[in-house]
Order: sequence, then structure tokens, then C-alpha cells
Amino acid sequence: MRELQDLAQLLEQGESQKVLALTQQLVDSGVSPQTVLNDGLIAGMAVVGEKMRNGEMYLPEVLQSAGAMKASLKILKPHLAREGAKSRGKILIGTVKGDMHDIGKNLVGIMLQGAGFEIVDIGLNVEPQKFVAAITEHTPAIVGLSAMLTTTMLNMKTTIDAIVEAGLRSNVKIIIGGAPVSQKFADEIGADGNSRDAVLAVDKVRQLIGHTS
Amino acid sequence: MNRRFEQALNCEPPDRIPFMPAIYEHKAWFVGETPSKVCRDSRLFTAALLAEYERVQPDALTVGIDVYNVEPEAVGCKVIYYEGDNTSVPAMAPESAVFRVSEEVASLKMPDPQKDGRMPLNLEVAGNIMKLLGKEVPIRGALSGPFSLAAHLSGLENLFNLMFIQPDLVRELLGFACEVIKRYGQAFIELGCGVVVFDSQASSELISPLLYREFVLPRTCELIEHFHRQGVRNVPLIIGGNTTKMLDEYLETGANNVLCDVKADSKEFLQKCSTARRAFRRNMDSTDFLAISAEDVHRRTVKCLEESGGYSGFILGTAILPYGTPLSLLAAIRSAIQKYKRS
Repeated sequence: MRELQDLAQLLEQGESQKVLALTQQLVDSGVSPQTVLNDGLIAGMAVVGEKMRNGEMYLPEVLQSAGAMKASLKILKPHLAREGAKSRGKILIGTVKGDMHDIGKNLVGIMLQGAGFEIVDIGLNVEPQKFVAAITEHTPAIVGLSAMLTTTMLNMKTTIDAIVEAGLRSNVKIIIGGAPVSQKFADEIGADGNSRDAVLAVDKVRQLIGHTS
Repeated sequence: MNRRFEQALNCEPPDRIPFMPAIYEHKAWFVGETPSKVCRDSRLFTAALLAEYERVQPDALTVGIDVYNVEPEAVGCKVIYYEGDNTSVPAMAPESAVFRVSEEVASLKMPDPQKDGRMPLNLEVAGNIMKLLGKEVPIRGALSGPFSLAAHLSGLENLFNLMFIQPDLVRELLGFACEVIKRYGQAFIELGCGVVVFDSQASSELISPLLYREFVLPRTCELIEHFHRQGVRNVPLIIGGNTTKMLDEYLETGANNVLCDVKADSKEFLQKCSTARRAFRRNMDSTDFLAISAEDVHRRTVKCLEESGGYSGFILGTAILPYGTPLSLLAAIRSAIQKYKRS
């Protein structure tokens, strides 16, 4: 459908107002909100992710696209809820205790939301017990821990230990990300995976969701 | 005076490759204190720099711990300090951005380096160190770059958004940031120090070379020219992350020392910097320094040194050293540098 291709393209260009108008037009004309989401928004964000991976798009442009997606989702969400549509999975994300960096975490959230996942973002400087409480409350499939500093990356282990101690470890997969962390570090602290950028985080989550379903 | 660093910056062959590890929060470890405590206490801060010089023997010293916080704090942003034994680096509170879209840039307070925030403390420390070591080793005051300061004043995501919806406002904010940095830099220069500008928020890990050229480059050129006019010949510009894509713009800033960070392409830096006669600091990866041996570090150092291609403008650095990095690892780097013969 031509309009859905247009929607994807406008989203990629970060044209919030036009995305908003076209979303409304598509819903009003009877196109299924799930189709608008999948073939318009998620398709558009997939292109954004690909361009980011190839170095053709950078964070400011990606944020424009994400803003357009958020605006469009505001229209779609009530319709999706009425249809009983399900997300592709719930992901809980947060930056660990002592770390005030959030741009990487936010970007991961944007790319995951763009891929159709439901995001619960519990912010930055998050105490291990707050992660535990949020897992209990939201029952996510995956927990994403972010840290930007060599000092705070150690709190990823503290957080995982708290999740283990609370008896919740088998309920969730855990991925980590941030400048100083590596797959080796992920293995050492008992995480299920590491992702070095937001686009790869989507691949990793898909892989892990596949394993959990 | 150790002229090794200056020689490399002038692309004249020094007696050996200069060593410039990135020591910020790790300074505090030298005096057994936390970064939050040391960065607010001029006596401890001075002692930490002296200890760094004695134990690490870098070829230049930088007065700075939480280098991106000082200017925004002086303008009015809030910095979070950690109490007790928490060794985290003090950080900007994200909600404390002082510049809102609805406001005018003119409403922002222009800080006085002698009075506001921790600028006076950093200047006092620089003065102390100049008296004690100024004849032995180059001392530089750490400055935020214009884009990083603007990002802290407005919030990074907000700044990104403004670049599209209110580009003139962003240019005005960058102009304000530039003026703050000039004044703070001037105060270091009056103490006889050099300066080093940090602007990692402007890295091509985050923004495109096109946006860098449009928004950041003009103000960065202005800043570096300003310091040159003040008689500061060497103005390093440190932009972290993989900056290979923006190397042309990076070199256009006029900085005579750029950073080739861990993930950047050292071959391209070597080719372009040697053509432009600019020094570059190659950072070796140090993120795993709390978990590897001195022998591993020695091997890694030799590999990095081989990337110099015998270029006179090559400086060896590290990514930010983790708090608590064993001194034996730094000794291993120094040993490898001393043994290395330029081809």
C-alpha cells in the first residue's frame, strides 16, 4: 500500500507533523492499526536502524524519527488496545546505580520500541532493588542494564546478584551495554548477552526472545 | 623542562614517544580518596596531581577530574557528588539543565572564573602545580568544548532536537558556551598554564560530520584561534569515540593535537595527520585494566606503538584509566615505550 510506504519514509525523515497526519488519515480510512504499526512505523524504523548501522544516520536524526514514531503511537495505541494487539515482548531498561548517563539507554529504548517491543524505562542511577521491584511489577521478558563508566559497570554484577537473590533470574534474560562492557564481561557477571550498539541490541533481544518463547 | 610533548605537537622528533594516559577519576585513587572528595578539595587535588606525576610520569599534566562538569556548574547546573566510599565520577544531574527553549540565551549567567562554582578551586590547583612542577612538565587546564558545554546547559537530547527546529538558537547557545570557555581558559593562561579542550559530545559517534561542520566547527575554530592569539601555541582538542569519519573537520579546527581513540582508524589518522603536520594521540584500550596482567598491557602497548609508523607527531595515550588501575600496568607501558625504536 502506497500510503504505508509513504508513512515509513516520512518517519525515516523525522517529519513528525506529516507522520501524525498520515497516521490519522490511515486509521480514519479503516486501515488496521496493527498494519499501520507494522508496515508503516516498524518498517520505517527498521530503515532508520539500518542507516544508523551503516553510518548514514546519526543520533540527532534518529531522535527526530523516534519523535515522529512516538507521536504516531499516541494515535494508534487506543486502537491497538481495542483490537487486543500484543507487543513483541516487554523489555525493562535502566542505567545502573551510580551512573547518570542515559543517552545510550534511551537510544536502545527507541530502537527496541521501533522494532515493536514494549519498553519500560526505569531511568538512571537505578539501585539493584529497584530493578528487582520493577521486574516483579512489570514481568518483562528481558532486562537491559546500561553503564558508561568503568566504575559503575561493576554495579551491573551487583544488580544481577540482587535479581538472583530475589529468585527472579530464571524469569528474565539479561543484556548489558555501554562503552566499557564486553561479551567477556557479560559472561563473567552472568548476563545473557552484550550489545555494543543500539541496532545490535535489537538483534540480541530478538535472539533472546526467540530463546525464551 | 620536559619538552617531549611540545616536540611531538610540533611534529619534531622527541627522544621517545610521549606518554599521555587519560587520568581523571583515577587521580583520586593516588591519594586514597574518592573523585567526589578530591575534585572539591584543592589540597587533595594538588596532592593527587603531584602523586600522578611522581608515580605515572606522564609527559604533561592536566588539571581536571570531572572535566565536563566545571563550566556548566559555574553557569548554574547541578552536579551530583557521591558521598562515602562511592568512587563514581561526579555527574551532571540530567534534570538540572539551565537552558530551556522558551528562554533567551541572554538570560544565562556568564560565570566569573574567579568566583563561580569550582572554577576558582581548579585555578588554585593549577597555580599550586605551576609553582611546584611548572618548570618540569607542561601543565594544562581542562576546558569543555563548546558543543559539550551547550549539551550540558540544555540537555543533550534537547540540543539535538533544537538543531532541527531552532538552529539559530543553537548557534547562539554555542556562542555563549564559547565565551564561557574563553574566559575560563584565559584564567589558566594568566597562571602560565596551557589549555586542553574536551568535546566528546561532538563526536561522530553521536552527530554527523555535516552537523559538526554546520554548528560546531565555526565556534571551535574561533576558540582555538582565540587561544592562539593569547600566545598559546599548542591547543589539543580531545574528542572521544570513533572520529575517523569527521577527521577532516577535526583537523580544520586548527587544533594541533587530535585524539585517535581506541576505535578510530589509526592508519587514516597517521596518513591525514602526517600530511597536515598535526600531532595525534593514539589511545590504547584500558577498559579491562583491572582484569589483565602487566605482560598483556606490554604486548598491547607494543602493538599500538607499531601504529605510529615512525611519525614524529605520534603520542601514546590510554582511554580513561579505571579507578584503581595498578601502577604495574602503567610501568609496563612506560617500559614498552622506552624500549621502542622508531622505524
